Amino acid sequence: MKIHPLFSTFANAVKKAEIESDKICLVSDFLYQPKISEYLGFDLFHVTRGRSIPFATGMKLGNPKLKVVVFVGDLITLGGNHFMHASRRNMDIVVICVNNFLYPKINGKKSPTIKSAFSPYSVFERPVNIPHVARSSRAVYVARWTALHKKELTESMTRALGKSGFSVIEVISPGNCYFAGIPASPKENELIEFYHKNSEIKNDEDTKNVEITAEKKIIVGKFFEKKRPTYIDSYNERHSKVIGDKFKIYE
Amino acid sequence: MAFGIEAEKEVIMKANKKDVLTGSYYIDGDVAAAYGAIAAGCKFVGGYPITPSTEAFEAFVHRAPYVGGITIQMEDELGSIASILGAVWSGKKAMTITSGPGFSLMMENIGLGAMLETPFVLLNVQRSGPSTGLPTQAGQADMMQSRWGANGDYEIIAISPDSPQEMFDYTIKAFNLSEKYRCPVMIMADECVGHMTEKVVVPEADKINIEPRRFYKGPKEKYLPFKPDKDLVPPMAKAGDGYKLHISGLTHDEKGYPTFSQTPDTKRLVDKIRLNADKIIELNEDEIDDADVVVVSYGITSRVAIRGIEQARAKGLKVGNLRLVTVWPFPEKRIAELSKKVKAFVVPEINYGQIVYEVERCAHGNANVVLVPHGGGFVHNPEDIFKAIKYAAQEKKKVEGIIEHKTELYRLIHEKNS
Repeated sequence: MKIHPLFSTFANAVKKAEIESDKICLVSDFLYQPKISEYLGFDLFHVTRGRSIPFATGMKLGNPKLKVVVFVGDLITLGGNHFMHASRRNMDIVVICVNNFLYPKINGKKSPTIKSAFSPYSVFERPVNIPHVARSSRAVYVARWTALHKKELTESMTRALGKSGFSVIEVISPGNCYFAGIPASPKENELIEFYHKNSEIKNDEDTKNVEITAEKKIIVGKFFEKKRPTYIDSYNERHSKVIGDKFKIYE
Repeated sequence: MAFGIEAEKEVIMKANKKDVLTGSYYIDGDVAAAYGAIAAGCKFVGGYPITPSTEAFEAFVHRAPYVGGITIQMEDELGSIASILGAVWSGKKAMTITSGPGFSLMMENIGLGAMLETPFVLLNVQRSGPSTGLPTQAGQADMMQSRWGANGDYEIIAISPDSPQEMFDYTIKAFNLSEKYRCPVMIMADECVGHMTEKVVVPEADKINIEPRRFYKGPKEKYLPFKPDKDLVPPMAKAGDGYKLHISGLTHDEKGYPTFSQTPDTKRLVDKIRLNADKIIELNEDEIDDADVVVVSYGITSRVAIRGIEQARAKGLKVGNLRLVTVWPFPEKRIAELSKKVKAFVVPEINYGQIVYEVERCAHGNANVVLVPHGGGFVHNPEDIFKAIKYAAQEKKKVEGIIEHKTELYRLIHEKNS
């Protein structure tokens, strides 16, 4: 049985970050449906397409003790707006964006991050540079790895899980082999290795230079990290200033 | 062994003293709804301001920090409803507030809420439509959308208050119903009720009954998120408590795992409301027993109708008043029962015919059904309702289908060129 490398990297990261697994909530939508939680036993919420980030926002505000992780596919399509706003507010959630260049469940459809796909006349649209969108909407942690950069990816996930704030990790990976029961076709294995071979690690690279194009190598690395008060921090600070003693810190 | 509500039937919870601002106030319906939500224990509102519902959101935002609540102005209505679903699953009581176009944006997640059996309340202060419509003016044209808006089969509960006092009372009721049946409950108010300023009496906390969330009490490893109790409603667990929840918007089985065919759980989404309809439905009836004509109305129109009914009674007509407090589920049995006794139903509503179709369906051709349509913007002239009653009382033959009783305003607007 072949299991997607993301399974082990995420499991290892949770272990390394020393987070109680009960407190981890995965939120995903139809663009990417993580089987991870079915094998590892985290709480999973599988919501409407593109709305996983606002759902996660509500969860985090409902119970700030939760560690909410959003597993999504090409999230810039449906709900790109939510991504920018959650980032701007610095909602304390980790977004793991599994970019597979095509919708895994709706094979052959174009997606905005696409490089090449089953489009009969090939694709002429430019992809979205996800790390740059994250960076410009002020996410506190931005990284990109391919699924085979297991060591680095685990490290990034551990870092993001341990941090408070809106963290974005883009994972370049083909989509279909996440169905653990179904053997991945040789093509997908080739593809996942192709991505790995065609990548170049450039930590702290300016995100405007990391656009994925057919001509250049895929630039991976940890691009940005900073500390910034989260939405709940700012909420508490503002309200205790205005209301004073009557305000009870929300936590 | 029974868990959840069956096991603790005797427990009657009262509102939290901190959450209830006991006293009498002179406030508008929107604010009253926000106070009602807080009294009911609502701790989270995710919303996006839209006239004429903004005051409710504002009032909640103002009070929330004092009662341990939190609010967020989301980027849009798609986000606001998704956020309240999330908050409910992490253990809060939550509400969202909107109007017309925002309500349209919320549809897909209302479906998700129904599918995940998430208890939440949606306050829709209706304005005139379609689309942007008349942003600051009244309408009642979202009634069918509230029931059928999202894709697939599901049932919701809708309540239509007609005064600021009712906005307070029925918001509490809406929360109680949503917790009891684990379904979306909509408060279908309208601009008139939302912006109407009247006296609102907030009772003492121990006079307000609160339906607690039906949390699962049994052993963790045996928990099945969609295994229902006897009344078809499953007990709930919240995220982060180690239940290993698998909650999916895909058609699922009792475990919450996706299935590739319809399951009994899908049918249960409609059954839990339809089979419990008699317990949910609330009607106000007045002089209905010997009536020839019954006026069926809801929301602000039911208050306008009173004047028309009084005029008709003064002329010696036997008119009953049937006010729908809960519009969905629809009181099918009661309308069918009445249709055998009365000559006609008169249905005034601020739209070109929505609830009138339900009345016609349930009348089974036994009585005439007269619609008094109104395009929105403001309320009916009571005179028009009186005229419709007079016509309905005099009409001797059975007329097939809905009889449209055109008001003078209607003729003025729509027929001036013909």
